[in-house]
Amino acid sequence: MTDFSASLSLSASGLRAQAQRLRHLSENIANADTPGYRRKTVPFEMTDGAGDGRGLVRTGRVKLDRSDLARVYDPAHPLADPSGHYDGSNVDLVIEIADAREAQRSYEANLKMFDQARQMSGALLDLLRR
Amino acid sequence: MDVNALAAARKYAAARPATEPGPEAGGVLGDVARDFATTLREGEDTAKAALVGEADPHALVEALVQAELAVETVVTVRDKVVEAYQDILRMPV
Repeated sequence: MTDFSASLSLSASGLRAQAQRLRHLSENIANADTPGYRRKTVPFEMTDGAGDGRGLVRTGRVKLDRSDLARVYDPAHPLADPSGHYDGSNVDLVIEIADAREAQRSYEANLKMFDQARQMSGALLDLLRR
Repeated sequence: MDVNALAAARKYAAARPATEPGPEAGGVLGDVARDFATTLREGEDTAKAALVGEADPHALVEALVQAELAVETVVTVRDKVVEAYQDILRMPV
């Protein structure tokens, strides 16, 4: 496997990892109002890439954020305790949106590297064409 | 005259083994061809899997670009080889 095709694989693994991150961010935002929902965080880890030194990135086991759930005051809610509160989710929309923007930027960076590897290999082959 | 013809025949006989296919020529080129065929087949398999919803689009794009890279390399090298061969054919004898 040449360096160019290794770069392509690496960039594609980065794209895939960011897409999975975005998938869990969407899940968090979709469940922002679900009582008792804990936000999910996605750790990234490096693989050996079948032992040939290619450090592909992949997403590891999804973890739940153990921080306290928001106490929401709503006596009319079916889950409300005697004090009129119930446990909401611990999703902070600002954090999720910022995280989504970070995923987008990282996705763009990987996309650029993918295109860069393609252009460089094309330029190299152009040498033989003239 | 006879001596010259004999010398030419001897030279020709000595030069003939150089044009025979060597044992290693098929090996390297064969490996390259097999590698190329494998890359193409991976591209096709991933495209099929993506169309029925089994592979994700990233895998599809990656496999197709890898196949494109392989095809471009092979086509460029082939063109170069054909060009060199035609140069030899056009050589004034």
